[in-house]
Amino acid sequence: MIFNANDIQQAMARLSSAANEAKDELNEQDGKLGDGDLGITLANGWAEAVRQQLPEDDLGKAFLMISKSFQRACSSSFGTLVATGMMAAAKSTKGRAEANYAEISELLAAARDAMMARGKGELGQKSVLDVLDAVVSATAGLSNPGEMAAAAKQATGQTLDEFRDKLAGLGRARMYGESSKGLDDPGMLAFQRMLDGLLG
Amino acid sequence: MMKKILNDPASYVDEMLDGLTAVHPELYALPYPRVVSRASGAVDGKVGLVSGGGSGHLPIFAGYVGKGLLDAAAIGDVFASPSAEEMADCMRVAHGGAGVVRIYGNYGGDVMNFDMAGETVEFEDDIESTTVLLTDDVVSAKPEEASKRRGTGGMVYAFKIAGASAERMADLETVTRIGQKTADNCRSIGMALTPCTVPQAGKPTFELGADEMEMGMGLHGEPGIWRDKLKPADAITDEMMDRLLDDIPLASGDVCSILINSLGATPHEELYIMYRRARARLQDQGVRIAMPLVGRFATSMEMTGATVTICQLDDELESLLLSPCHCAFWTVMQ
Repeated sequence: MIFNANDIQQAMARLSSAANEAKDELNEQDGKLGDGDLGITLANGWAEAVRQQLPEDDLGKAFLMISKSFQRACSSSFGTLVATGMMAAAKSTKGRAEANYAEISELLAAARDAMMARGKGELGQKSVLDVLDAVVSATAGLSNPGEMAAAAKQATGQTLDEFRDKLAGLGRARMYGESSKGLDDPGMLAFQRMLDGLLG
Repeated sequence: MMKKILNDPASYVDEMLDGLTAVHPELYALPYPRVVSRASGAVDGKVGLVSGGGSGHLPIFAGYVGKGLLDAAAIGDVFASPSAEEMADCMRVAHGGAGVVRIYGNYGGDVMNFDMAGETVEFEDDIESTTVLLTDDVVSAKPEEASKRRGTGGMVYAFKIAGASAERMADLETVTRIGQKTADNCRSIGMALTPCTVPQAGKPTFELGADEMEMGMGLHGEPGIWRDKLKPADAITDEMMDRLLDDIPLASGDVCSILINSLGATPHEELYIMYRRARARLQDQGVRIAMPLVGRFATSMEMTGATVTICQLDDELESLLLSPCHCAFWTVMQ
């Protein structure tokens, strides 16, 4: 199955309302380990993105517009990470009006790698990179949207469970040491809320 | 209670930039709300030199936009990174067709956003760019992890020396090399007597007893290495010089510049008292001092305290340091 800019436009509307709904919860969760602005960062970023009319002829330009929306609306690090992931998708789809669902795992892998480089983060440090990586693996080789959605949700929930009682090893949360144990990483939780909003 | 001359913490930075550019329309322009450029714009065929970071450090960053210095600077809220978009706009404004060098202090948020901006202008505008990061604060990480250190007063030398190189129409590779060599040759250390207050936070960045000082304090009040009763100026200066010279040993016949910098509230008088001691220390070692700098070059709002920066010079760097520059805060005549 294929997707185009129109599909992304509709997905953004769902992501934006999911970000709004999760805003207070994510701010509160982030406030336990950081500066408490994660919810507002995502809500502002997606609100700016959803205001854009994506061009229909080039997915690269569409992803670039989303990246730039986050670059404009957020100066905090999570916003820049989302912008980085979108830029990686823009580079992979430049000049094409359509892409195949079977490519999504590769697009997410490119986003994961670019985000690791930008944030100087590694896998296993209890961050959004770990859920992203799990979803890349879970969706690899799949092309049916329903199967991909189920696999992505399952992998996300499982990764949150797996990391809950581990120490945070990246970003400001790292400074909290032992007290980060038992708490979901705010970035992972944000990914889950966005994914649930996207897939319904 | 916060005691500051302001109207609204939320408009602090914008009103400051409005005033700065209004005083010096011949020097500064504001092509975007948070981007300060030279009034004359980008120079055709010249490498653009840009910097950026949070407000609260004047003359860093916006103040050093000028001939022989920066082409443009992106300005965030007080002690907060500008957005990646503001940094990308800053690079576009500075681009004269020969590429852009981003030269700034090593702080996580600034680095992520400036790298993102560099990627964006490369993808969208085909602008080639490079990075020079200042990591001169010796107490912020051990020598074996020197690349993790924060940038402070060394930025002043890097802007000046790389700026002079760009003004001589050197190419992107050369300006980057010169900037990096300057960064590699700078070492800084700070000390503080009183904190500052970020307008949007409304309370001091740290607390210090009435008779205490803190050695090694960072430019945003990051914790230092010890806190104790205030010592005499010579003892303070000696410890700072010892720590710097431990990290960059200078031998007889070597040349350096030295910057004795006020963090905001400390007056020139006290900086001069520190300078005479620092000068004696360098002279004792047979080191020649080129163009010493004393004053407010890199501040932390109204913090009381000082930083000392040593920049080791070879012939190439010394010649560039001595060449002319002009901005509202610093002029070097021919």
